[in-house]
Amino acid sequence: MRKGLLLMVTLIGLGLALSPAAGAANDVIRLGFPIPLTGENPDVGASSKNAAEMYLKQVPTVVVAGKTYALKFVYEDNEFKAESAVKAITKLITEEEVLGVIGPQASAQAVPAGEVANNYATPMISPWSTNPNTTLNRPYVFRGCFLDPFQGPVAANFATEEFGAKKAAVLYDIASDYPKGLAEFFKQAFEKIHGPGAVVAFESFTTGDKDFSAQMANIVASGADILFTPQYYSEVPLIVRAAKENGFSKPIMGSDSWGSGDLMGLCGDDCKGLFFSTHYAAAGAQGATKAFIDQYSAAYGKTPDDVAALTWDSLGLMIQAIQNTGGLSGDIKADRTKVKDALAAIKDYPGITGKMTFTPEGDPIKCAVVVKINDQGQFAFHKSVCP
Amino acid sequence: MTKEAISPGRGPSAVRRILGPAPLLGLLTGALACVLIERFFGQQVSDLLHLPKMPVLFGILTISKVVAGLVNALFKGAAFEGIELLQLPAAGVYFAVVYLLPLIGVGRITAGAANRAAAALARMPLPASALVHLGLMYVTLHVWAGMSDYRLITLNLTLIAVLFTLSLNIINGYMGEFSCSHPAFMAIGAYISSLFTVGLFVDDKVLGKALVAMPMDYLTFPLALILGGGAAAAGALIIAIPSFKTRGDYLAIISLAFLFIVKSLFENLQVLGGARGIAGQPDWATLPVIFAVVVLGIWIINNFVTSTLGKALNAVRDDETAAEAMTVNTRRVKMTAFLVGAFWAGVAGGLLAHVLRYINPAMFGVQKLAEVLAMVYFGGLNSVYGSIVGAVSISLLGEALRPLEILKWIFIPLLLILVMIYRPTGLVAFRDFDLRKAMGPRTDSRPKV
Repeated sequence: MRKGLLLMVTLIGLGLALSPAAGAANDVIRLGFPIPLTGENPDVGASSKNAAEMYLKQVPTVVVAGKTYALKFVYEDNEFKAESAVKAITKLITEEEVLGVIGPQASAQAVPAGEVANNYATPMISPWSTNPNTTLNRPYVFRGCFLDPFQGPVAANFATEEFGAKKAAVLYDIASDYPKGLAEFFKQAFEKIHGPGAVVAFESFTTGDKDFSAQMANIVASGADILFTPQYYSEVPLIVRAAKENGFSKPIMGSDSWGSGDLMGLCGDDCKGLFFSTHYAAAGAQGATKAFIDQYSAAYGKTPDDVAALTWDSLGLMIQAIQNTGGLSGDIKADRTKVKDALAAIKDYPGITGKMTFTPEGDPIKCAVVVKINDQGQFAFHKSVCP
Repeated sequence: MTKEAISPGRGPSAVRRILGPAPLLGLLTGALACVLIERFFGQQVSDLLHLPKMPVLFGILTISKVVAGLVNALFKGAAFEGIELLQLPAAGVYFAVVYLLPLIGVGRITAGAANRAAAALARMPLPASALVHLGLMYVTLHVWAGMSDYRLITLNLTLIAVLFTLSLNIINGYMGEFSCSHPAFMAIGAYISSLFTVGLFVDDKVLGKALVAMPMDYLTFPLALILGGGAAAAGALIIAIPSFKTRGDYLAIISLAFLFIVKSLFENLQVLGGARGIAGQPDWATLPVIFAVVVLGIWIINNFVTSTLGKALNAVRDDETAAEAMTVNTRRVKMTAFLVGAFWAGVAGGLLAHVLRYINPAMFGVQKLAEVLAMVYFGGLNSVYGSIVGAVSISLLGEALRPLEILKWIFIPLLLILVMIYRPTGLVAFRDFDLRKAMGPRTDSRPKV
């Protein structure tokens, strides 16, 4: 007991002697990242963190109105759970006292977290969330990606123009927020062009299903000219193979969810020649986009997915907004509101995923690209579609 | 608090020896003193110790953050400043100075007075004494959570976890069945209560315009919770009826099936938002509301399990045939247990929906089931204390170890395995929660052997 006490006192003394003087925290801008580092989708968290770390290496300090601030990023694991995301973002805002928040990525976490950010009047950009509720009536919440009501028509128009499709089939996961929403928007848009009933098969499955033969049989029998499947990278290979096995030889197209994760590693040759709409194209990119891709590939040994690219852009937007405030007061509450106002006022921000301007709702107006998976298995730019 | 070993042949536990003869009243006073010290001097103490911020979860969070930094530095080559290591002892000292020493000190110093007060309270009706204790407890929690909103949200969710765990303990602990449908009951409660509050009082995209405009609409919140709980209980009927004939693995499978049915039901019900869920619940689940509901829940469940019906639950668990022979109406017992358990799970769901102010079906899946099962079995079967201990420790650990990221998911399961090896029924299993004894005076540090 006595020894323990002695050790404690020594350590405290040491601590007092060695620790640097407090008060240097003023020249630091802290940004929070409530991202899924563990849980069902750790790839998403890893991509976000990679992009952020790379950004920090490139831009370690920011000059705001002549004063230099060091950037500091705080990562908080949201476990891919809504409850956890709420706790994580509350912790970032109240404990870590971050100036702004980038994330969460998926809508299931971004919707409740956005509520928290808005309540604490802290600017938040969700790079990847597509649920309208994330930003709805929340002046402090923004997003980095376009919304499904825009992507649906992009895919429908492309299918019509590129393949001359008159009848379309859709296969989607009814239990997952994003595929379901997008499938419906595609159906609406396609039927607007070709008249009601043009989507001849609207087939669904549930998260985790591995066998799609029943749905495929219906799709083949419906005589559709194209199959649209807005699924995640882990499901796409299974769907594409099921289509081949069941004798569906028409084109298959997808959405931005194809672009995250290791699609080509899982899918191999089966996916070559297919198209999907997304935020940016890695192969054949130019300028800043190319520089980003090259650096990212060099640092982490893989092509950046759309989560990484959107995180990079959201971060860029946040930093741009901080610089546009024309000086921080040091009062974190006032500064957060300043940053929010500056974010809302940004016009034509030149991101690597396209030029961005926020609508009053906090959603960006930006172009989508359609990429083709080429014979080398790269996602090559095919066409740009702007709103 | 009253963790002293009651089992014959064992001496007083170490905790009890240190705390001396302080009754619960004295310990609560001590805890209040701790949070008041932290409220007024916590910042100074942490400045003095050169901690970057006032430790938010008793210093564990600070420690795990440093450990995480160290691990990242060792395995990933991330930058790490050696000076941060000093936060480890500093966090310990902070905990000792702000919590441990005042708790022991105040507990011991006031022991005499507190015992006299407790004895006086013991002569009064039980509710009066309980109210005094609960009041002290609430004030302590209120002050503690008032220092940081992060604490507040953690505390709110922990309290809800306590209620949820306890409601499952009725079925899995007291009745000895293995039911997997509890997240489904929670989902039903969450959806129905949200339907009530959002549908009636809030303009929403999914559920349409507010139907009623009322200045004191938050007073209807208990009604929303009761509706949610009632709907969950109605859902439980579906699972209770097949459970008459099945036991063990088969009931587990049926109840798991029920969980999936409910989850896909909500996923496919477009009027309830489908997979996108319902957002925008009014902010009615505040700390006092949650505290009151959880305390009420614990009280009612404790009364239920200590009643004749509760004893019948144990009889059914130990031997159903024998229980039947001893005139226990096993059907009625099982049915009641399911309905009561589901009701409180539904209430917990209603609270959860209004804390997060967003629900979607994915929240009530197998992951939630694993979480609550871990809380029940970690804390202890057949025990109200056990549920409280299990829910609080797993929630707090999960929160405090968050900086460790993936290592957290090695540490917590490892802890579970260790508990299962050394205490196969959980930490505080099979212990009655005797309110009168818990709150009574403690004249002798060592009661009967």
